[in-house]
This record gives sequence, structure tokens and C-alpha cells, in this order.
Amino acid sequence: MTQEYVNDIADFISRYISHMLGAGVHTSRVVRNSKRIGEALGADVRIHTSQKTATLTVCSKDGKTMNTRVLDIPGFPISFEWNADLSALSWAAYDNEMSLDAIRHKFDEIVSKPKMNPWFVLFMVGLANASFCRLFGGDIWAMLVVFTSTLVGFFTRQHLTRRGVNHYIVFIVSAFVASLCASSALSLGLETAEIALATSVLYLVPGVPLINGVIDITDGHIQIGISRIVNALMLIICIAIGMSATLMLVKDSLL
Amino acid sequence: MIAVDIISDGIFAAVAAMGFGAISDPPLRAFKFIALLAAVGHAARYCLMTFLGVDIASASLVAALIIGTGSVWCGKRVSCPMTVLYIPALLPMVPGTYAYKTVFSLIMFLQNISSPTQGAEYLQSMLFNGSVAGSVLFMLAVGATIPVFLLRSKAYSMTRNSKYL
Repeated sequence: MTQEYVNDIADFISRYISHMLGAGVHTSRVVRNSKRIGEALGADVRIHTSQKTATLTVCSKDGKTMNTRVLDIPGFPISFEWNADLSALSWAAYDNEMSLDAIRHKFDEIVSKPKMNPWFVLFMVGLANASFCRLFGGDIWAMLVVFTSTLVGFFTRQHLTRRGVNHYIVFIVSAFVASLCASSALSLGLETAEIALATSVLYLVPGVPLINGVIDITDGHIQIGISRIVNALMLIICIAIGMSATLMLVKDSLL
Repeated sequence: MIAVDIISDGIFAAVAAMGFGAISDPPLRAFKFIALLAAVGHAARYCLMTFLGVDIASASLVAALIIGTGSVWCGKRVSCPMTVLYIPALLPMVPGTYAYKTVFSLIMFLQNISSPTQGAEYLQSMLFNGSVAGSVLFMLAVGATIPVFLLRSKAYSMTRNSKYL
């Protein structure tokens, strides 16, 4: 195995890792899939991961040629579609003995697929938060208020994220906007106004990183698991700050 | 009437799971199973908590076990890793209200720091909300991961021979 070929494999696997980890896949799956692709191409792959960077070593089976590098993990939006399709790619590479070029071609195809329509996501999130309000015991009017305020709040979040605003500020502002809209339930005098106000910000809760963090910890990747959870906790604090601004304005008390 | 309650709980949980899942861009083929798993899991937790008086953490563990086991079966059919199905299905059960109430209690504690009785009350509420949020979250993720450990070879080859690639 030539040095160039090992370098090429390392180039590809570092792209693979940064896309998988950046899109919120839990660590043990990324490691397993990358090793599988390495195995398919006839090389050993070893990875050390942390929150924003990863270290990768690709080594030929005889141990004579190797390539080690540190790579940055960019913050892609979470994508379960990449998770599913890139995992399937690793199996396809392993079972069909695909060449590096073929794998690379397929990878480019998968990551350039269009994302879900943002307007559809906006509508779905509104519906979801409204049903959430119902699960907490809100009536139909509270559900309507939550639906509208979630639409406004999530639209704010999408818009600010697209502009590249710092994500902590995005969370504070969207939590404030959504809960301010939902506080109209108090002035309308709805029976379940409190529930509407309390559920209006729940669409922001970073559930995926929280669960991923615990999964990582149970898999033994404790460091990265804790980093994920701490990251998510920071976002929850931001939600609470945004919401407490509204509560101080309309109720003068938080609990 | 009880049956209606349980079914409507399941339906609203399914809508919530699909909507919150949509933020994380799941493959379209996964939606029907996400909805199914979320409905079954959440309805199970609702039954345990309302009719049997089980606490929220243990009920979440059972619900997550059901969702995790179900995703072994569903994942193979749509060639999705189990996490793609069970994380969105768990989202409606993530203890978001408890989590931000922990922060609220902290803020209120700091504002009432000069009054020992009220301050202690808020400190207690912070501990209460924080420990519920933490243990429910832990139970959810662990419950859904146990089937992965039990059915390791099956769980690790979900996307093998995917026809959606």
C-alpha cells in the first residue's frame, strides 16, 4: 500500500468523521463506521474524539505506511438523514468492496441532498408544540396560542441562525419572543394560560444532544458525552434567561 | 373514557415527536415509525403514571425500553440506525419544563438570598427540579440503549443492504 493511497483514505475518512460528528451522531457509531470503511479499503483506522476536534490515524495493515492528522469538527445542523445514509454507505463499502472513488462519489451525493423544506419544518414544529401543550393539560385555546407563538418563535430562530448569529443569543431571543407571544394567553384570560406560557418555549429544548450525551456516557465515551451535555445545559440556561425576561415583564415572579 | 384518554395521549405524543424530530432532519421514510414508537411509549408512560402511580423516572425507563425494543424491529424495515428512530420518539418525554425550572429556582434563590426561609424554599425547589430532570433524562437514554446492548449484532447491522442508498 503506497503512502499516497493511505493519504487519500485519511482524507476521505476525515471528511466522513467531521460530517458525522458535526451532524450530531453519537461517538461510538462514528468510530465503528469509520473503522468499517477503513477495513473495506484494507487499512486500520484509529480515532480520538473530542467536542470540536478529532485525531485520526490511518495505518496500512502491515504497519509500514501511516497518516495521522487532527481535524476540526464543524457545526453542521443535526441531520438524522446523514446518520442513516452514511451508516448505510459504510456497510455498502464493506459488503460490496467498493473502491475509494466510488465511496467518495456516493458520499458527495448523500451530503449534497437537499434538506427538508424549512416552511414544512416550521409548520410541523408549531403542531408539535401545540400537541405538547395538550399533553400538559392545555385546552384548545391554549393550543392555538402555543401554535402561533411557536410559529413566531421558530421563525425567529430559523432567521437568526441563517444570519449566523451566535447560537446562545439565538436561543435567548427566540425563547423571549415565543413566551412573549404566549403571554397573550394571560391577557386573554384563558383558563390554562399558565400551561400555554410554560410549554411555549419547549420546542427549543436541545433534546437530541442531551440524549446523545447520555448514550455516549453509557458507551464509555465519557468526555465527549459530558461535553455534549454541558453544551445542551448552556442552551437550557439561555432558554430560561429568555423566558424569565417575559415572566418578569408580565408576572413579576418566575415560579 | 379511559381508552379515549390513552389513545389521545398517544396521538398527541406522535405529533409532538414528528414535529420535534423534523427539526433534526430525519429521513422521510422514518416518520411513520417515529410516530408509532412515540405513541406507544408515551401512552405506556401515561398509563403507568396515572393508573399505577409509578414515579416519572421509572415510568420513563419502561417507556424508553419499549421504544428501544420497538426500534430494533422498525429500524431493519426502513434501514435506519436505531438512534434515528428512538431519539425523535423520546423527544416528547425529555424533561424540558423541569430543566428550565431548575434555572428559574436558582434565579429566584439569588433574588431572595437575604431572606433565609424563602431562599431555602427556592434552593429546595432547585434540587427537586434538577434531580427529576437529570434522572428522567438518564433513564430515557439508558432504557433505549439497553436493547442495543442485548441485541448487539442485530442492532449494529441495521443499515446493512439498505435499499435507500
